This record gives sequence, structure tokens and C-alpha cells, in this order.
Amino acid sequence: MANEVTKTMPPSTRLRRTDASEVTVDIRTPDLEINFGPQHPATHGVMRVLMRTDGELVTGAQPHLGYLHRCAEKIGENVEWLQYLPYTDRYDYLASMNNNLGYSLAVEALLGVEIPRRATLIRIICAELNRIGSHLVAFGTYGLDIGAFTPFLYCFREREWMMSLFEKICGARLTYSYIRIGGVFNDAPPGWFEEVARFCDVFEQKWPEYVDLLLVNQIYVKRTANVGVISREMALDFGLSGTMVRGSGIDWDLRRDMPYMCYGEIWRDGAYKIPVAKGEMGTLGDCWDRSWVRVMEMMESIKIVRWCLDHMVDGPVIGELPKTLKVPAGEAYVGIENPRGELGHYVVSDGGKVSVRTRVRGPSFCNLAVLEDILPGSLVGDAVAIIGSTDIVVGETDR
Amino acid sequence: MDFQGILDRLVAIRAPGLVKSDEPRKADPKDKKDKGRAGDPFVIVEARELAEFVRACRDDDRLHFEQLVDLTATDPSKDAAELWINVQLLSLKFRHRLAIKAFLPKNAASMPSLVPVYRASQWHERECGEMFGIRFEGHPDPRNILLPDDWAGYPLRKDYEFPKEYHGISCE
Repeated sequence: MANEVTKTMPPSTRLRRTDASEVTVDIRTPDLEINFGPQHPATHGVMRVLMRTDGELVTGAQPHLGYLHRCAEKIGENVEWLQYLPYTDRYDYLASMNNNLGYSLAVEALLGVEIPRRATLIRIICAELNRIGSHLVAFGTYGLDIGAFTPFLYCFREREWMMSLFEKICGARLTYSYIRIGGVFNDAPPGWFEEVARFCDVFEQKWPEYVDLLLVNQIYVKRTANVGVISREMALDFGLSGTMVRGSGIDWDLRRDMPYMCYGEIWRDGAYKIPVAKGEMGTLGDCWDRSWVRVMEMMESIKIVRWCLDHMVDGPVIGELPKTLKVPAGEAYVGIENPRGELGHYVVSDGGKVSVRTRVRGPSFCNLAVLEDILPGSLVGDAVAIIGSTDIVVGETDR
Repeated sequence: MDFQGILDRLVAIRAPGLVKSDEPRKADPKDKKDKGRAGDPFVIVEARELAEFVRACRDDDRLHFEQLVDLTATDPSKDAAELWINVQLLSLKFRHRLAIKAFLPKNAASMPSLVPVYRASQWHERECGEMFGIRFEGHPDPRNILLPDDWAGYPLRKDYEFPKEYHGISCE
């Protein structure tokens, strides 16, 4: 059965032994096919990577997706605009606020509705807090993948507080549906902004622990530096985005370069920077660079949250919208910077209550495509490190 | 560059297959049937020429679209004779986007693959293939990606009928 599938794999280019006559001492063994997943903790969900190995060397890899496919795009064509919002929570369940935001912005691009300033600022606070939470999971579980258990617990300690902040503002811990078309669901409860400010202060103190414990840890560096190198050209060719391109040394962030909401204003105020990998520990574009970008980005998000807290205004939190939403005919594509990269929503309306097409361009889906190219030539032990460093959420690759 | 600038440049370099542009407009108050159009401007391109068109977009030094962000299809309605192909290009250098639309007849949905130009389109084309039944000529690996290999029908087409059972599992 497995043989049947690997027929479609491109022939290996890096076989160590190409000719039987070269084998003198060692016993010549046939290539072995192993299934990595679908039930494997390091695939961060249900995904299968079929690997062809020659001893310890991976000579071919083929990701098989679809185990979590829930037809999100088809559902989008069958429910009303507002009813689709909870489904957006469920593709990248580690960054639900950002998914809500991406969908809302896409529909708002057709509606042309004005968003109150207070709603925009609350949106940014939530999106950035969620980015921190998402990067904490990415970084913590990445350590777990390659054998470091403790940093994971440290990461989840801070993430717990972030989730209880969200619980206070919208009642849910994982699937929020808080950012709505037109604004946000309700105003922050009394004392919430003060608690967010406290979270920022505490997080800033805790953050160096991640760097010391894991990021510059010699064992971690040895496992990740010079492993899974993605070159600049490859990153562009495969349409990678977010931390994956910044990890390959490309200075690109949609928040700064194609600003939406008031990210442009925050950038002009000089409140945040875009961390771009420089290949400090090895080759530019290796696994270490990608995790470095994620750790650095957490602190930049804290700065953005602080800016929003300082500039908070009073006012309504949701624009004037009818109860049954009819969206003007047209089509729009809106891409936003999710923790994993560019989350794009392409929506088409014919003027009715239901969308004609709701396309979701998930960043994990595009980032994962590069595996077919970077896994061959690596060691089996490094395969886990490489897959973990792409930081995929299978809910989003399969939608 | 804004949309008009990109369009002028496309005309100037004689980008292959460019048909026309479509920009959002307000509804005509005299014509009650006219609803206008909201959203983004886009260009319409011949489907057969799409691969050459995006190649020209990528290689031109003033357009410089290094990335294919998204490739998808749309079935506008049950009665429509044509599917849409929607492509989003992005230039990191000049910070601009371009939305492209092409039309494919539903009964002969086949067009040249974009993989030789952007490898990013490889998985997107596989998804379009299984969801809309579009054949991309020259695609290196045209298997299903999200659906099982034996899935019947093209789920994102508007005339798709939901299956009643799958391998003995009742779906009703």
C-alpha cells in the first residue's frame, strides 16, 4: 500500500549509496517507508507525513492532509454572513481572535461600514494578546517536540493568564467569536484594561526566562541551528508568509507593509519593530531562526498592546448594522498578519444574506507545502525539529 | 503602485492574455436593477494565457510580483456556464497586490498549470482540482489533497449533491 503512494514522490537526489558495488562492508538495505503520524504528538494535530528513509537519512517526504477537513468553505456558502463567524474560530484554534478579525475585515471591505475607534483598539489588543498566546504554544510545544519539557510549562503558565483575560472579556477560552463584523461583541468589563497592563508588566519580566531556558540553551541550539534551512528564494517561491519569511531574512510584515486598522499609525509612532532573522546561530533560515523570530515577536506585541492602552478612547464598540446583514454585491480579498502568516479571506457576495464564496487562505497550508522540499536530505531525528519549526495548526491546513 | 499604475504597466508591457479591468463602482440611481459593485479592483485574463500572464507579472522589474498568495476558483451560481479562477499576487518589494480573474467553461474546465512559474500554486491547484473539477495541464502531482482519493463529485460546485452514504456510513 505504502509503495503505491510513494510512486508519486519525486526520485531521490541525495541517496548516499547509488551503486551496489559501493557497498562492501555494510549490508545493502532497501529504502524503508515510514509513516510519521497521523497520530503523533509532534504533528500538532492529525497529519501524516510519509517518509522514505535510507538508514537515518530521509530521502523523500510527502505530507498527507485532510484528516481534519470540515468543509469550512462549503459551510460559508450555506450560512448567513454573521453565522459563519464561529466557524472561523475553528481553523486556527490557537489564534481565534485573529481569524475573527480577518473574516470581519473582509466582510467590512464589502460593507464599507465605519468601525468605532474604541472597537479598533480593543481589536488590536485582543489580536496581539492572542498572537502572544499562539507563539507561546508554538515555542513551548516545539521544545517539547525535541525533548525539553520544562519550558512548555513556563509558556503555558503565561498563556493561562492570557486565556483568563479573554474569558473575562467574552466568556470563552479558546473559540471566542468576539471580534464581530462591525466592531467587537461587547465592551471590556471594568478593570480589564488595568489587568492587561499588569499582564504586560509581568510578561516582560517572565520573557527572559524563555530565552535563557530554551532559546540560547546549547542543546536546543545544536538541535535546531543549521537544520531545515529555507532559503530566501524558496520562501518566496512557495508563498510562505509570517514568521516563516522573516525567519529566512525577508523583512516583511503585513502590519507594517500593508497596514490595516491602525497598525500604520502605531508603526509611525515607532512603538514596535519587526524582528528579522540574521542567522546568528548557523545558516540563515534554519529552525533556530524561526523560533527566534517568534520569541522576539512576543515582546513587540506587548509594545503594541501598551500603545493601544495608552491611546484608548471612550465610545461605542460596534458600528451601526442591521440585524440581518445584507452585503453589497462584489468581491474582496483581505489578508492580515496572523501569528502563522498571511490569513486571507476572499469573499464574494451577490447582494444577498448568504455569501457566494468564502475562500480561506490559511497560512499553515501554504507554509506546510515547503516540507516536501526541505525534509529530503535531513536525518530522521531532525524531521521532528523541521516539522515543529513550521508551526502548523492542522485545523487550518485542513479547514 | 496603485491599481491604475499596475494596469498601465501591464498594458505597456503587453502582458499576454490581458482582457480588461473591473473596478468597484456605485449603483446607477436611474437603473433599479443595477446594484453596483463593492470591493477590490481586479484584472480579467484569458485562462489559457494565465501562466504566461503571471510570468510576465513576476519578471517585470516594475511590477515584481514575487509571490503568488492565493489561487482558488469560484462557482458563481448553479446556472452559470463558467467557473472563475481567482489569483492573488503580491509584491514584497513594492508593497502592492494584484487580483486576477479568469473564466473557465464548466464542461471543459482545463487550463495550463501555474506551477512552472510559482511553486506555491502546487497545493492550491490540487485543492481546486478536487473541489471544482478543474484540470491543470502539466501539474506534477494532481492527486486529491484534502478529500479522500475516491471522493465522488466536486463539493464546491453549486450543483453538488451531498452524498447519502460513504463506505457504509450513512450521512443522512
